[in-house]
Amino acid sequence: MKKSFIALLVVAMLILATFTGCSNGSKTDAPGETDTNDETVKNELVVPSEPQEGEVLTIGLSSSPKNLDPVKYTGTYESQIIQNVGDTLVAYKMDLSEIVPNLATSWTVSEDGMHYTFKLRDDVYFHPGEYQDGRQMTAEDIKYSLERSLELSAMNRLDMIESVEVINDFEVVVHLPNPNSAFLTALTNSGNIIVPKEEVEGWGDDFGNHLVGTGPFIMKEFKYDNETILVKNEKYWAQTPHLDGVTFKVVTDASQMANALRTGEIDFAEKLTGEAVKIVREEANLKLMETPGLHVAYIYFNQVNGPTADIKVREALLKAVDREQLVQGIYQYGEAQPASLPLPPGSWGYDESLESTVPEYDPEGAKQLLAEAGYPDGFKTTIHISDTPHRVKMATILQQFLKMNLNVDLEIQTSEWGTFSEIGSSGNADIFAMSWTWYPDPYFFLDKIFATSAIGSLGNGQGFSNSEVDKLLAEALIASEQDERAELYKDALKIIVEQYPGIFYSNENVTWGVAPEVQGLIQRADGSIFLTNEEINVWKVQ
Amino acid sequence: MLKTILNRFLQIIPTLLVVVSITFIITRAIPGNPAATLLGPQASNEDIAKLEEELGLDESLGKQYINYIGQLLKGDFGKSYSFNQPVSKMLINRLPNTLLLSLTSLVLAILIGIPIGIISAVKQYTPFDYISMIIALVGVSMPIFWLGLMLVLIFSVNLGWLPSIGMGSIENGIGDVLLHMILPVVCLTTIPTATFARITRSSMLEVINLEFIKSLRAGGLKEKVVIYKHALKNALPPIVTVIGMQLANSFTGAILTETIFAWPGMGTLIVGAIENRDYMLIQGAVILTALAFVFINLAVDMIYMIINPKVSYDSAKGGA
Repeated sequence: MKKSFIALLVVAMLILATFTGCSNGSKTDAPGETDTNDETVKNELVVPSEPQEGEVLTIGLSSSPKNLDPVKYTGTYESQIIQNVGDTLVAYKMDLSEIVPNLATSWTVSEDGMHYTFKLRDDVYFHPGEYQDGRQMTAEDIKYSLERSLELSAMNRLDMIESVEVINDFEVVVHLPNPNSAFLTALTNSGNIIVPKEEVEGWGDDFGNHLVGTGPFIMKEFKYDNETILVKNEKYWAQTPHLDGVTFKVVTDASQMANALRTGEIDFAEKLTGEAVKIVREEANLKLMETPGLHVAYIYFNQVNGPTADIKVREALLKAVDREQLVQGIYQYGEAQPASLPLPPGSWGYDESLESTVPEYDPEGAKQLLAEAGYPDGFKTTIHISDTPHRVKMATILQQFLKMNLNVDLEIQTSEWGTFSEIGSSGNADIFAMSWTWYPDPYFFLDKIFATSAIGSLGNGQGFSNSEVDKLLAEALIASEQDERAELYKDALKIIVEQYPGIFYSNENVTWGVAPEVQGLIQRADGSIFLTNEEINVWKVQ
Repeated sequence: MLKTILNRFLQIIPTLLVVVSITFIITRAIPGNPAATLLGPQASNEDIAKLEEELGLDESLGKQYINYIGQLLKGDFGKSYSFNQPVSKMLINRLPNTLLLSLTSLVLAILIGIPIGIISAVKQYTPFDYISMIIALVGVSMPIFWLGLMLVLIFSVNLGWLPSIGMGSIENGIGDVLLHMILPVVCLTTIPTATFARITRSSMLEVINLEFIKSLRAGGLKEKVVIYKHALKNALPPIVTVIGMQLANSFTGAILTETIFAWPGMGTLIVGAIENRDYMLIQGAVILTALAFVFINLAVDMIYMIINPKVSYDSAKGGA
């Protein structure tokens, strides 16, 4: 009797323990607050009207930056740090509407578009380092940094230039072998920050761990997989930062990112997905910042092999899916908007008028088309996706639509990134799903996803090739005026859309979680974090 | 004894060679190209080819293998593809962080688990026995991921007593690091404690019921002496084996725990290396783990020989 009673007790404890997990912080009391009538008393923060000096901002990064040497770095996480330690010659305005002077004060372009003359600021100094003690930046440094990028950049971020010529201490000319209108945008990339030769050559392979630039924050310590510590640069040319320093912490688990925000261990989470979005939105003590991003999520059909090589099949598949419902099913917390075109609406090459040319949900029409194509009873095919919850949801819903409307059996193949990347670029995937996010310049989307020259890379792993499109893209790259380029890109876009290459289903938001103490932060559609420059100077309430 | 030790040391080299070779082949057999994975989806074909050349990946497999073995013999573990740092330096930096967590957990697990196991065995079929074994079962079955997040929700988010992520830093005082250690250590200790408790209990039970224990008791020896000096000593071999295995596991780090708590240890390093197809780092980590296993196995066998002098690997005489 005694034994069974104890056994029952233990079981009861276990069940209770399971239920603790289910209630999920809907009422969280910060320590030291009183709980009146089951409602959380909001901790009213008094925000001074004038920015305060001091405090360190702690930012949570969802992946670990690897190598901060600008010619080596490959991804967003590195650039978030690099662009706060160094400066580029020109930069995008925070609203991404135009490219403005940064280290350069002005520039002129020759008639033939092959020579860009930049005049430089004369009040810029490098951070003091091991191999130089904070000397002034001059034209020689521009030449050194840009030519280094040309030669060594892992991502060929300046492959469109030929050489840089020094005219005097504060003037350079960059020579291009062919006109290339993506050049100025390429210059804004953090891979092209200006760095001092002595430090690069002094540190050699170790330069990434001791990055030196001209930016608002000086790199104090880089602990990989852990944190990167930056401190204020008192002599920053744009304005002195209000913040004493910035610490970037790596928090790979999405739930933990939200938790760390709630406990105050980080002030700013740079990417929130899924349920974390809901938690931060509902949390009285936190701010959720959302902006439509320069992003497209899409399902790409194989253009060369398999059933999808037939344009009728592609059109049928497109008609068989209700994109609105798809987006609602995947993004339950409002993290994205439904899309239809291969460019984000924020891109200046976007053409609203083309939206109506993308087929609407039409299951009957889809079935008929598929029958015409020779598959009245459907067919079997595979979609390859990377192993994120979002993609799995998308693929599952897609599977339903295709089975229900077309009797197409869609097998879902999930792999981790490295494997997925290889399958996708090989041209052997019947269908795969991807996201693309880059600059507002359509070159960085269309040329990478639809140009024949991009076949074999993951962007155009599905083999899209159209000579008209190639011609238009090439012309748009050379044209000098943005309006002219926009027209050409819109023409290319029209042809692309008519080919039904895939299902472009969503534009995700840039989603940040921020503590209310953080003031003056501006969210950009490309998700970049800039803390101090000519337009912005973030500060924290003390 | 000396002969055994010498033999085992000589065996290390061929063992390592086999381990390295198998790892070399497996890492290159998995789909996924380090250059493409590293550069990300926006890289062009030319970018990837350029990086492959830089990393020496365009050479034949055989040549890459010979180069690598040659480097190893000189004590050079190569450079990490993703971090561009010497692999040995990276591993040495990370190892103490992991050992801090795992060795602490191990010691706690021994201090808590073994006594529980002994008492359970001695007081078999009492409430203590039932409760502790059920808790042990729960401990072994509980997913660490869930446990970690639960602990964080309770102690960090709701109560605000403990930090949820990171290792803290020595600069803020040793108290800072200790505070950050509490939750991950609790997480990591649950399974080993449960395992040690259960194995100690079953091993002790086997011994307690043997004839010679009964005769010792009959001979008038005090119960405490019977249990701790005689029974426990004979029950030790399986326990020592399990502790040894757990100790060897300590080197690879508890991947789940380190990921949840953003603890910069070997676990996160290795998982990241695999995701990035960072062959050099993966191989380096595997060699380190193999070395750890080899030496710990040797130590465990030596402990057997000390506990029970009848055990001998030197020749075919004696038991075990």
